[in-house]
Amino acid sequence: MKPILQTSDLSIAFGGLKAVDSISLSAVPHEITTLIGPNGAGKTTLFNLISGALKPNSGKVYLDGKDVTRFGPAQLQQVGLARSFQITNLFFEMTVRENLRLAAQILEPVSHAFRPLRRTGRAAQKVDELIERFELQGKMHEQVGYLSHGEQRRLEIAMCLACEPKVLMLDEPTQGMSHADTDETEELIRSLTDTVSILLIEHDIGIVMSVSDHVIVMHQGQKIADGSPAEVRANPAVQAAYFGHG
Amino acid sequence: MHDRLDISMRANHVLFAVLMGVGLICVALAVAMDDMFYLRLGTEALILGGLALSVDILLGFGGLLSLGQALYFGIGAYVSALVLREVPSFWLAMGTATTASLIAGILGGLIANRVRGVYFALITFGMAQVVAKVVYNTRELGASDGLIGVPVLEIPLGIVTVSAGNPAGFFMLTLAVVIALYAAVAYMFTTPFGRVVIALKANEKRVPFLGYNTWAPRMVCYVVAAVVAGIAGALYPMLRGFVSPELMFFASSGNAVIMVVLGGVGTLIGALYGAVLLTFLKSIVGSYTEHHLIAIGVVFIGAILFMPKGVVGVVKPWLERRLTQSETSSASSGDRTSGENS
Ligand SMILES: Nc1ncnc2c1ncn2[C@@H]1O[C@H](COP(=O)(O)OP(=O)(O)O)[C@@H](O)[C@H]1O
Ligand SMILES: [Mg+2]
Repeated sequence: MKPILQTSDLSIAFGGLKAVDSISLSAVPHEITTLIGPNGAGKTTLFNLISGALKPNSGKVYLDGKDVTRFGPAQLQQVGLARSFQITNLFFEMTVRENLRLAAQILEPVSHAFRPLRRTGRAAQKVDELIERFELQGKMHEQVGYLSHGEQRRLEIAMCLACEPKVLMLDEPTQGMSHADTDETEELIRSLTDTVSILLIEHDIGIVMSVSDHVIVMHQGQKIADGSPAEVRANPAVQAAYFGHG
Repeated sequence: MHDRLDISMRANHVLFAVLMGVGLICVALAVAMDDMFYLRLGTEALILGGLALSVDILLGFGGLLSLGQALYFGIGAYVSALVLREVPSFWLAMGTATTASLIAGILGGLIANRVRGVYFALITFGMAQVVAKVVYNTRELGASDGLIGVPVLEIPLGIVTVSAGNPAGFFMLTLAVVIALYAAVAYMFTTPFGRVVIALKANEKRVPFLGYNTWAPRMVCYVVAAVVAGIAGALYPMLRGFVSPELMFFASSGNAVIMVVLGGVGTLIGALYGAVLLTFLKSIVGSYTEHHLIAIGVVFIGAILFMPKGVVGVVKPWLERRLTQSETSSASSGDRTSGENS
C-alpha cells in the first residue's frame, strides 16, 4: 500500500553527534508503526525532524507523497500531521475544555477568527466528542495543571486528534502512567487507527509487541531493524543492542 | 457552563460597571459642587487609562512588556493637535489620529515583533525614545515647547453639541470613548483569535503544533494596542489645549506600566483602576509636597508586595467564584425547566 508518511535518508548532527543518521522509514495508512530503541537512540529527534521542530541536515520527509521537508510545524499540522510530546506540553493554566477548544478551533474557517466563540459548530462538536472519548467529562472545567499525570497524558493525545489529522505521532504516550492507565491507553491508541495512521514511540516492550503492526528499531541514530513485531524480536542485532541479551 | 476564561472576562465587566457607577456618582457630585478641577483630573485619568489599557493588551494578554507605548499615545496626540489647529473637527482629528497610529503600529510591530522578552522591552523603549527626540528637535512640531494653541473644540454628536471646554460634557465624551475601547478589546480576547493570543502567552512553543501561526496574532495585538493608545492620545490636546514631547518620553510609558501593575495585569479593567488611582494619588500627594514621586514609589512598592495581582486581583477571585456559583445553580435549574442551555 502507498505509504502515508515516508522519510528518506533523514539526518541531523548536533556538533559531532549524529543523533539521527540516514533514517528511511515508511508508515502504512491505518497502521501503527512503532519506533523503539534505548534512551538517546534518536527517536525524539527523529520526531522533531518529521514534525518540523528541527530542520534536517539532509534527507527528505514526504506526507501522502508530498515533499514536506521544509514545512514548519504549523504548516505540517495544516496538511494533516499532528504530534504529541514526551514531556507533557499543554496549556497548564487553562482548563481541559479550553485546551481542547483551542486545538479544535483550527477546524473552523479563518474568517471566524473574530466572531464570538460558538457553542455549536464543528469545533464545539469536536470538543464534546473528545471529552467523551477520553473520559474527561468530570474534569473539563479543571485547570490542566491540577490533573493527574495520567489524565494529562491522555489529554496530550486528545489535543492532537482535535484537528482530525491523517498522521498522528505519539512520543511515549504512556510514560509514567499506572498499569491500569497504560492498558486503557493502549486500547485507545489501537482504536484510533480507524481514522488515523500512527507513528508511535514506546518504551514498554509489552505494549510494543501487542499494539504495533510494524516496528523500527533505532540505535545510536541508526536504524538497525525494521519489520513485524515477531521479526524484530527474533533479530539478533536487536537483541544485542536493545534487549541486552542474545 | 462557561469556560474559566469567559468567567474571568465577565468578572472584569462587573468591575468595569462598578468603576463606571462610582465614576458617574463622583461626576454628579462634582457638577453639583461646581468642582471643575477634579472633573478635568478625572478626564485625564480616563485618557491615561486608555494608554494603560494599551499596555495591558500587550503585557496581560500578549505577554510582552512594552516600555514605549507612549510613542503611539504621543503620535495620536500630535496628529490630533496638528489637525485641530487647522480644522477644528473632532471626527477628522480622531480619524487621522487613528490612521496615523495604525500605520505607526504596523511599522513598529514589524520591528518589535522580531524579538521577545527583555529585547522586546528594550526595542519598544528605544523606538519611543528615538521618535520623542526627533519630535523634540523638530521646529515644525514645536520642538521642546510642543504645540500650543489647540482651539477649544465644539463637538457635534447628532442631537447635542459638546464643548471640550465644558468639563462635565467632555468627561462624558471621554468616558464614552474609553467604554468603546474597553468593549472592543474585551470582545477581541473572547474570540477564537483571542484564545490563540492567550495560548501564546501561556505556552508559545506548543502553539505552532496546533497549526497556528505565531507571528500574525502577536502582530495584530501590537497594532490594536497602538491604535488604542493613539485614540486615547487624540483626546489629550482636546482636554489640555496643547501637546508636548514629554508625552512620548519614558516617564509616560513607565507610568502606564505602573498603572497596569497597580490595577492588575491581564484584566483590562485593572488598567483603568490603576490610571484613576495613580492620577489622583499624584495630584493629591502633589498638593502637599513637591516630593510626590517618593510617595508614589513607596505606594508602588507596597502594592507589588501586598497586592501582587493589583487592586483588581484583591476582589476578582471572589467575584469569579460568585459568578461560577450563580451559573452552576442557574444551569441546573435551567436543566430542570428547559433542559436546553449549557
Ligand atoms: N537539541 C539538541 N542539541 C544537542 N543534542 C541533542 C539535542 N536533541 C537531542 N540531542 C541528543 O541526541 C541524542 C538523541 O536524543 P533523543 O532523540 O532525545 O533520544 P531518544 O528519544 O531516543 O531517547 C541524545 O544523545 C541527545 O542528547
Ligand atoms: Mg525520547
